[in-house]
Amino acid sequence: MARAAPPDAKLTPFRHRGYDRPRVASRLPLGTQRLVFITGKGGVGKSAVTAALATAAADAGRRVLAVQAGRGRLGALLGTSALTGEPTRVRPGLFAAAIEPEDALAAFVHGVLRIGMLARRLLESTSFQVLAAAAPGLPELLVLNTLAGWLDARRLGRRAYDLLVVDAPASGHSLPLLAAPRSLSALVRLGPVADMLTRLEHRLADPAETLVCLVTTPEELPVRETIELHREIRALGLPLAPPIVNAVPPRRFGASDEAALARLDPAHPWVMAARFHIERRHEATAQVAALRRELGAAPITLPFLFAGPEAAGGVAALARELGAVTGMAA
Amino acid sequence: MTLADLVEQHRVLLCVGSGGVGKTTTAAAIAAEAARRGRVTAVLTVDPAQRLKDALGLGAPTGKPRRVPLGRIPGRLDAMLLDVKRTFDELVGGLASSPEQAERILENRLYQNLSGTLAGTAEYMAVESVYRLAEEGGYDLLVVDTPPARHAVDFLDAPRRLLALLDSRAFGILKDPTTILGGTASRLAHVVLSGVLRGLERFTGLGLVREIGEFVQMIEGLMDGLRNRVAAVSGLLRSEATRLVLVAAPEPRLTAETEELARALAGVGLAVHGVIVNRALPQHVFGCEVPAAAPITGLPGALERRLQRSWDDMRALADHQALVLAPLLRIANAPVLAEVPLLASAPGSLDELLALGAHLFPREPASEAPAHGQGR
Repeated sequence: MARAAPPDAKLTPFRHRGYDRPRVASRLPLGTQRLVFITGKGGVGKSAVTAALATAAADAGRRVLAVQAGRGRLGALLGTSALTGEPTRVRPGLFAAAIEPEDALAAFVHGVLRIGMLARRLLESTSFQVLAAAAPGLPELLVLNTLAGWLDARRLGRRAYDLLVVDAPASGHSLPLLAAPRSLSALVRLGPVADMLTRLEHRLADPAETLVCLVTTPEELPVRETIELHREIRALGLPLAPPIVNAVPPRRFGASDEAALARLDPAHPWVMAARFHIERRHEATAQVAALRRELGAAPITLPFLFAGPEAAGGVAALARELGAVTGMAA
Repeated sequence: MTLADLVEQHRVLLCVGSGGVGKTTTAAAIAAEAARRGRVTAVLTVDPAQRLKDALGLGAPTGKPRRVPLGRIPGRLDAMLLDVKRTFDELVGGLASSPEQAERILENRLYQNLSGTLAGTAEYMAVESVYRLAEEGGYDLLVVDTPPARHAVDFLDAPRRLLALLDSRAFGILKDPTTILGGTASRLAHVVLSGVLRGLERFTGLGLVREIGEFVQMIEGLMDGLRNRVAAVSGLLRSEATRLVLVAAPEPRLTAETEELARALAGVGLAVHGVIVNRALPQHVFGCEVPAAAPITGLPGALERRLQRSWDDMRALADHQALVLAPLLRIANAPVLAEVPLLASAPGSLDELLALGAHLFPREPASEAPAHGQGR
C-alpha cells in the first residue's frame, strides 16, 4: 500500500463529531490530521501509546515521524537507541526524533545571532531559565515551530512526513506547550515572532490539521486529571480526540465464575490471582464509566499488558488495537 | 532499620520520588501513623488529590499548618499545603531593607514570572517552608512530600543552586550583556554586541535584556541575607535530624526517573535511608521462585483454564515488576522499608490512610503500643 486511503466522511473534522453529542462510537477520528499530540498524567503510558499509534500509521502505509517532546521512553519502545534532534529512520516509513525546549531555544538564538560563541554564552547554564521566565512560552513556541518545520519538510518532491505523533510532556507541562502561541501573543504583537505565533495558532486550532489525544489509566487520580486537562484544552480551542484509557484489564470472569470462586480456597494462588484480576477489572470499568459520564464521549480502551509494553510484541499489540479504532488497519 | 525507627528518631522525613509513584499519599499515611504513635506531627504537601485534601481537612493554601481532625485517634497531626509564591514573597519581604524595596521587587513582572519558574526556586521555597516549621513550629516530626521536580534532586540541592545561579557568570551577563566580551575586547566588539542584542529585542518584540538587567540589580540587594538563610536551610537538610525516603513504583518510566534521582542524590552527597515500593504485587505469592500451585480439581474446564491464565498473567506481572525494580534498588543502596500492594482506590479518609499505614509499618513484636506515650 503506497498511500493512506483518502479520508472518508466519518473521519472528517472532529468539531462535528465532538463531545456535545453524547455516546459517540469508540473511534479515534484520525483522518486528515497530520499533527497528533499524545498527553496525560505522568506514568499512564504516553510513550507506549505514541509508539503504538506511530507503528499503526506506518503499517497503514503513511510516512510517520514519532517525536519525543520532553521525557519518556519512546526510543526504547520503538526498539531504537537514544533519540536526537535529527529524525532517524526506525524502519521504512517510520522515523523518530526527540526535541527539548532548551535545544530549540539554543537553535533559535544561534540562528538569530549567527554568532556561535555568543549564543552559547547566552544560554550558558542557568541563564536559559532566566530567559524562559522573561518570555514565558518562548521555549515551548520554539518546540512547536520545530514541529511545524518537520510538517512542512519535503523530500524528493513530496512531504517528508505524512504524520507527526508527538509524545508530549506530562499534563502539567503540556498545557504550556499547547497554550504557547496564545500566551505569547499577549506579549508580542509585531515582528517575525508575532507572525510565527499567528501561523502556529491557526495550525493548532485547525481540526483538519491537529488532534490532541489524552491518555489515562483506569485509576481515579489519572482519570480526574484527564477530565481537568480535557476542559483546559477545550478552553484553548484545540481539537480533542476521545480519551484513550490505557492498561484496562480484560474481562475474564463472569458473575457465575465469581460465585464459583467464592466456594474455593481463598488462599490458593489461582484464586488470589483471579480475585486480584476481578477487583482491578471492577475498578477499571468504574473509572471508564466515570470518564464517559464526565466527558460525554466513549473512551477508547487499550488492554493491560501484564509483561509490560517493552516485552516482545507489546507495542505491536497496542498498534493493532489503535489501527482498528482509527480505521487505518481496515 | 524500619520506618518506625525513622519517624521516632528523626525530626524531618523527606519523601522523594518522581511524580506518579504515590508520594503524596505515602507521606500523608506516614504522618498519620506517626501522630497515632504519639509524635506531634505535621505533613507538608504539594499537590494532593481532592480526596486526600478532604481527608486532611485542607482547603485553599493558607501558608500555615492546619489541625487535622483525628476523631477518636489520640495524637496531633497538622497539615499544610506548600505555597511557593507566598513563601517567596514573604522571604523577599523579610530580607528587603525597606517596604518600598520589597514592593518594587514584588511588582516587577520578571519577578512574578521568575518566582514561579526559575530553576530551583519552587524547590527552594518548599525547603524554606520546611526550615521555618522545623525551627518555629514546635513539632516532633515533619513529613515532607517533595515537589515533583523535573530533576527532583533540585529540591534538596535547591539552596546551593539558587545561590550558584545568583552568583553565576550567566546572571552577570544578563545584568550587563557586554561583560561576556571580557576586559580585552575592543570598543568595536562592544558596539557590535550591543547592536546584536538590540536586534534580538526587536526581533522577539520583548524588552528582555533591559528588564532582566533591572531585575538582577534589584535582587542583588538581597544577596547577603539570602546567602545566610540558604546556608542554614542547607545545614538542616544534611544534618542527622533529617532522613530521606525514596518512594518508588514498579513501572519502567517511574523507575527510570527514580534511578536518575537516586544517582543525582548521591551526586550531591545526600544519602537515601530507605525505599518504599508502592503498587507492588506480593512476590511471596506470585514471584518466580514460588513453585506452581497444584491445580484445583473438579472445576468446569473453561473456568480452570481462565484461572490458570490469570495466575500466569500475575506471574508475568510480578516478574516484570521484579525486573524493573532491581536496578533501582541497586542504585539506591538502601533497605526496602515497606512494600505497599496495589490498592483498588487511593485513600480518601483518615481511616484509609491509617489502613495504608499498616502496610508501611509492618507489625513488629514491640511496636504495637505507641512508643512515646500518648498525645503530647
